[in-house]
Amino acid sequence: MTSSRRAEALEPALEPALEPALARVLQAGTYLSVGLVAVGSVLLIAGGGSPLAGGPALALSRLPADLLALRPEGFLWLGILGIVLTPALRVATALLGFWRRGERAMAGVAVLILAVVAAGVVSGLLAG
Amino acid sequence: MEVGLLMLAGGIAAGAFGSILGLGGGLLIVPLLTLGFGLPLREAVGVSLVCVIVTSSASAGVYLQRRQANLRLGMVLELFTAAGAVIGGAVAFLIDERLLAALFALLLIYVAVTMLQGLRKPAEEPATDDETPPHAHLAGESGVDPGAERDGRTKKDGPTELDGGFVAGLGGPGYEVTRLPAAALGSVGAGIASALLGIGGGLIKVPLMHLVLGVPLRVATATSNLMIGITASASAIVYLIRGGIDAYVAGPTAIGVFVGASLGSRLGHRVGQRGLRVLFVLVLVYTAIEMVRRAAGIA
Repeated sequence: MTSSRRAEALEPALEPALEPALARVLQAGTYLSVGLVAVGSVLLIAGGGSPLAGGPALALSRLPADLLALRPEGFLWLGILGIVLTPALRVATALLGFWRRGERAMAGVAVLILAVVAAGVVSGLLAG
Repeated sequence: MEVGLLMLAGGIAAGAFGSILGLGGGLLIVPLLTLGFGLPLREAVGVSLVCVIVTSSASAGVYLQRRQANLRLGMVLELFTAAGAVIGGAVAFLIDERLLAALFALLLIYVAVTMLQGLRKPAEEPATDDETPPHAHLAGESGVDPGAERDGRTKKDGPTELDGGFVAGLGGPGYEVTRLPAAALGSVGAGIASALLGIGGGLIKVPLMHLVLGVPLRVATATSNLMIGITASASAIVYLIRGGIDAYVAGPTAIGVFVGASLGSRLGHRVGQRGLRVLFVLVLVYTAIEMVRRAAGIA
């Protein structure tokens, strides 16, 4: 290994570890989302609503109005979206971290994972 | 109101049970919602995926903080589990619910047999089951050598891709990764199973990493937990867009599972595992029979 290559290989070792940052993303995303779902569940149950009555479908355009009106579905959908998107946010954070460290192959893997998730969105939209 | 509280209580029981036995919540949520509340199987799977993401994200955060999960290997494999999950999510809406019920019954029987075999051994590793106990930090289940506590920097990590090749960078301290293509293929299968049945897929991922790739069991367990989140997320997105998740059902159930998993991780070491496992095997067998009846169109 040449000295310049060795210096390049050692450089990432001076970067802060990625894992704690990813852990924070996962924990913050989870607790925030679970908090929103908890508020929505309390509003639903306290309001006498039955979960088996069939909740309204997700409509992003209605979300702000539902939240302002303290309707349970607003909090429930926002929380569920947060839960579902938190792992993707973790992957996006990892992508930035790997890129900064010069680990291009791992950054590429992260991009591909996000592309697969995006393919899921497209597949759902096309089929739905 | 009663139904909402019952759903919350059911979620707590499923989360606690799963956490104590190292199974996660996914395996129990689908039978709870279908057999207990009469929900269509596909809708129950969608809700179960949301619950699986909640418990996985919370516990994966802990495993990452402890530096117990192999981040690089996990991300490479989750590329394939996520691809499988998207395929499974699309297929789930094409196949008959009775076939899904039959597949679920097979899964339950497999887990029951595995647990029965585990009862014969003096100390069963939890990693051979589905997901690992959520919030393992609360359970005091360390699994990490105190000497391995990092200083917050990467100096003591295993090799990275810069140290000599991409695959070499996927290993960790004391082990190298082998037979990656076979594991990638198995990961696609794990993703499909997760999307079809609403489970985390640790049942497949942990043995795959441990037996095929040669990853130590504890690392495989922690890494599997990390992968479960994005796997379930990829298929949950498909369910979400196609109207396969009911927010009114998902809310109380997910909160219940989250609370139950936290309680389970606290109480786990105080509960007699053997008696609980016998009880759980009975529950699994009963549930499997009900799923077979549903598959046959009797229930």
